[in-house]
Amino acid sequence: MVANLQTPGTPTQADFHAAISDRSDRWFAACLKITRNRDLAEDAVQDALLNAWNKRHQFDNTARLDTWIHRIAINAALQLLRKNRPAAFEPLETDIEDDADTPETVQAEYELGKRLSAAMTHLSEFERVCFVLKHLEQWRLKEIAEEVGSDVGAVKQAVFRAVRKLRVRMGSLKGEQA
Amino acid sequence: MNEDTLILYYYNDGLSKRERQQVEAAINSDAAVAAQYEALCRQLNGMSEPDIAAVPSHTVERWHDAIDRAARQEHQKEQLPARSFNPWSFVWGAAIAAALAIGIGLNMTRVDPEIMAPAAIPGAFTRGVQVHFRDTFQELSSLPAESAADRSMLALQIIEKNRFFERAAIQNNSQSLARVLRAFEPVLLQLAAEDISPEDAAALQAQLVFELNVMLTKLSRDASNETDTSQPGIQT
Repeated sequence: MVANLQTPGTPTQADFHAAISDRSDRWFAACLKITRNRDLAEDAVQDALLNAWNKRHQFDNTARLDTWIHRIAINAALQLLRKNRPAAFEPLETDIEDDADTPETVQAEYELGKRLSAAMTHLSEFERVCFVLKHLEQWRLKEIAEEVGSDVGAVKQAVFRAVRKLRVRMGSLKGEQA
Repeated sequence: MNEDTLILYYYNDGLSKRERQQVEAAINSDAAVAAQYEALCRQLNGMSEPDIAAVPSHTVERWHDAIDRAARQEHQKEQLPARSFNPWSFVWGAAIAAALAIGIGLNMTRVDPEIMAPAAIPGAFTRGVQVHFRDTFQELSSLPAESAADRSMLALQIIEKNRFFERAAIQNNSQSLARVLRAFEPVLLQLAAEDISPEDAAALQAQLVFELNVMLTKLSRDASNETDTSQPGIQT
């Protein structure tokens, strides 16, 4: 084990290891919901960890290390998604659904194995990203708009459309299961 | 009441204080709106799932490794200047520094000593990695130090290619080569940061070029050993 040379209060190597052991499944799940791709989600977590390590001196001690890394991981996932699928950040003015499921997205949904995830396959990428950040990650609309390079109005509309579609889809899935 | 407004009310976001008060008043005074909001809350509250997804243990291990490597890297960086300035004797110090430069340089490669049993790795894959290392070596050698944006873009491209080869190495059952490829990542990520000084960037570039050169030599040697021993008549 490498000796810690950090200033008091700065997260140590052991703190990072503890956070990885305790919370990395949650970071990964959040990134998977954003990217719908295992490899991208894994890379996002790794990028986030290294980024957090390099910036650990800026860590606010009143916050929780795992929460801080969680947020960085979401940002990393968004960056990777933007780079790999730029269309994800183009808001659509219509209610076009994203029906182009690839084996990787199907696999991702299978792994998440949840009704919500199944219903989310019918959202466009932009709607899904906005909904995940708003509903599951509790970001402010303004923060989402800044992160996805759009305006608050477009993000609101995407969330409205997502909620509308999910209510219908989840309702019908519930019916299928009953 | 407009359902979009109720959605914003539910999220406590996107409405002014006055608009929130209006919604609140409508919910309290109008039974239909109250029922509409209750139904919406029920549905939105139902749109949740556990925040857990199964992560393979080797992936978690990779994340632990990434932190260890970054810490080791940082530790080595902090040790270097302290050791090269020996106050007792300039000559003695220079000798130590030279010895350390070689020692640390070799150490910094973090190349697994058991690197790659050549017979275990398909030749085509090894050649692919060699080409990747050679291209990276040339790109890094010719990169102008003053352009932070170009440097960052190149480093990110190399990281992407590295990850591709890392996954391919795992698929080819070469964990050691995968580890070597992974070991480049923390240095490349530092090089990708646009806020580092040109001196630091040049040092990282030099380190990467050195490490790549070591790996290229190692891979060429392993490949030629393999060729030699596989030629008819040479085997005893």
